[in-house]
Amino acid sequence: MWVGRAKVPGMKLAVEAEGLVKQYQGRSGTVDAVRGVDLSVEAGEVFGFLGPNGAGKSTTIKMLTTLMSITAGTARVADLDVTAEPQAVRRRIGVALQEAGLDARQTGRELLILQARLFGASKHDARARATELLELVDLVEAGDRRIKGYSGGMKRRLDLASALVHEPDVLFLDEPTTGLDPASRLTVWDEVRRINELGTTVFLTTQYLEEADQLCDRIAIIDDGLIVREGTPRRLKEDLRERHGLDAEPTLDDVFLDATGRTRERAAGEVQEVTV
Amino acid sequence: MTALQQANVLGGRALRDSLRTPEAIVPTLFIPMFFLVVNFGQAGRIFTSDSTGFLFGQSYAAFTLPSSLLLAASFGTAALFLIEDIEGGYFDKLRAAPVARTSLVFGWLLAEAVKSAVITVALVLLSLPFGISIASGPLGLVLLIALTAAWAVVFAGFMQLIALKTRSAAATNSGGLIFFPLLFLTPNFVPRDLLTRPMEIAATFNPVTYVMEALRSLILRDFEWVAVSRGFAVVAVLGVVMLVLNVRLIRRYD
Ligand SMILES: Nc1ncnc2c1ncn2[C@@H]1O[C@H](COP(=O)(O)OP(=O)(O)O)[C@@H](O)[C@H]1O
Ligand SMILES: [Mg+2]
Repeated sequence: MWVGRAKVPGMKLAVEAEGLVKQYQGRSGTVDAVRGVDLSVEAGEVFGFLGPNGAGKSTTIKMLTTLMSITAGTARVADLDVTAEPQAVRRRIGVALQEAGLDARQTGRELLILQARLFGASKHDARARATELLELVDLVEAGDRRIKGYSGGMKRRLDLASALVHEPDVLFLDEPTTGLDPASRLTVWDEVRRINELGTTVFLTTQYLEEADQLCDRIAIIDDGLIVREGTPRRLKEDLRERHGLDAEPTLDDVFLDATGRTRERAAGEVQEVTV
Repeated sequence: MTALQQANVLGGRALRDSLRTPEAIVPTLFIPMFFLVVNFGQAGRIFTSDSTGFLFGQSYAAFTLPSSLLLAASFGTAALFLIEDIEGGYFDKLRAAPVARTSLVFGWLLAEAVKSAVITVALVLLSLPFGISIASGPLGLVLLIALTAAWAVVFAGFMQLIALKTRSAAATNSGGLIFFPLLFLTPNFVPRDLLTRPMEIAATFNPVTYVMEALRSLILRDFEWVAVSRGFAVVAVLGVVMLVLNVRLIRRYD
């Protein structure tokens, strides 16, 4: 059996970003997607990155995972500089982006085997690891069918599994449950918890505040490219209660709306983008 | 895992996917065969083997076969598969893996090479009834296959640049139309010295001319090393340029 790498001994900060900036140069001018973000995520945490659509969550994840150049600022992941040592960073992280990145012509098993091979496993070990992961995400039966026929939830779970082939130190999940039915969402939550218990730091973005409340040790709220709140869900709720002198405990929804300057009425009127 | 092994693993996947998409392979066999039949059917009586010196005793079909081989090798299907990877997000998954960027370039291109080799063999077999033989023998046939497949990789590699730059299937498809000037500003109907002056100049600057002449010499003559090595040299130089540009684009891909 293939044994994944040991977790980095003594890794304290899983993610450390200072003054992170991303500008997109488009035909219609420059877009300031991320405007100076500082982050620090400790090893072993489940960290939630919240924000409305277009706030800059995906852009931040892409910079942290070496998929996109950093306009200004620095980022370290698993104690490695993302710009200076992208290849070493890639060995230590797992990534599942907002749009599940799968190849519909392969079967689930083939995709996982290929992924394990790219991370250096031998043929034999890659096969064993694929079987293990198919069990983990409950896709054993579907494993030898083409991905083309998978449901949205199955694709998400397979994408999650493919981010785990090499037992990463830090796992990045961009909106892992958006567009899933409630049952599949709970399955993903369970998996995230299990992965975290095994020692992997999880950095996830979500639009669902309940999800952040349930899963995350600490959260940051980003709005229009800037971090507007950061702390444990509990701390953030208490802060809001004290500031506004509320009697009842506010929900994370209230914290979010307060932080992003949205009222309940305005937020309700916004169309939510759902990506499967 | 070395970069070579990674490229091999990615190439295997690309080949498997290609085989699962037969609708993308059929035209690459059918259309070049169609051109061979039409060209031979129209000009076969003008250029007969006993009265035409540049045929070296073979039929006109043998003379025009390289055009068909190069046409088959200039579909650039690899770039369209790459676009699908990009649009579906799978390309990001591969980019996030600790894989040498050169290996990423080669994934679909290796499948293109294998596919091109198989199609070249098929086209040569299909053209045997037209009285074609490979004058340079078995080794010549191997070189013929290798050179055609290498051209397929180079052409698909340049289309891949358009795919990486534009990330648009429409733009990549349009870019592929460059094969018209590339394949027709060549001595494809008659040898270079029989072309009109403007055509001869255009053909001289067109790198495909030298690949075509190399293939043709392998079919019609015993080894003419100058023509053959010139063909390989052109493909090698273009190949290096293609590879360097691809790696640069993938490194800077945002
Ligand atoms: N490739 C791109 N080119 C130009 N602008 C982009 C691009 N990707 C995202 N943006 C813009 O950057 C901002 C942040 O986007 P994103 O990071 O996707 O937000 P989120 O993931 O929080 O919804 C948005 O205004 C979006 O329109
Ligand atoms: Mg997003």
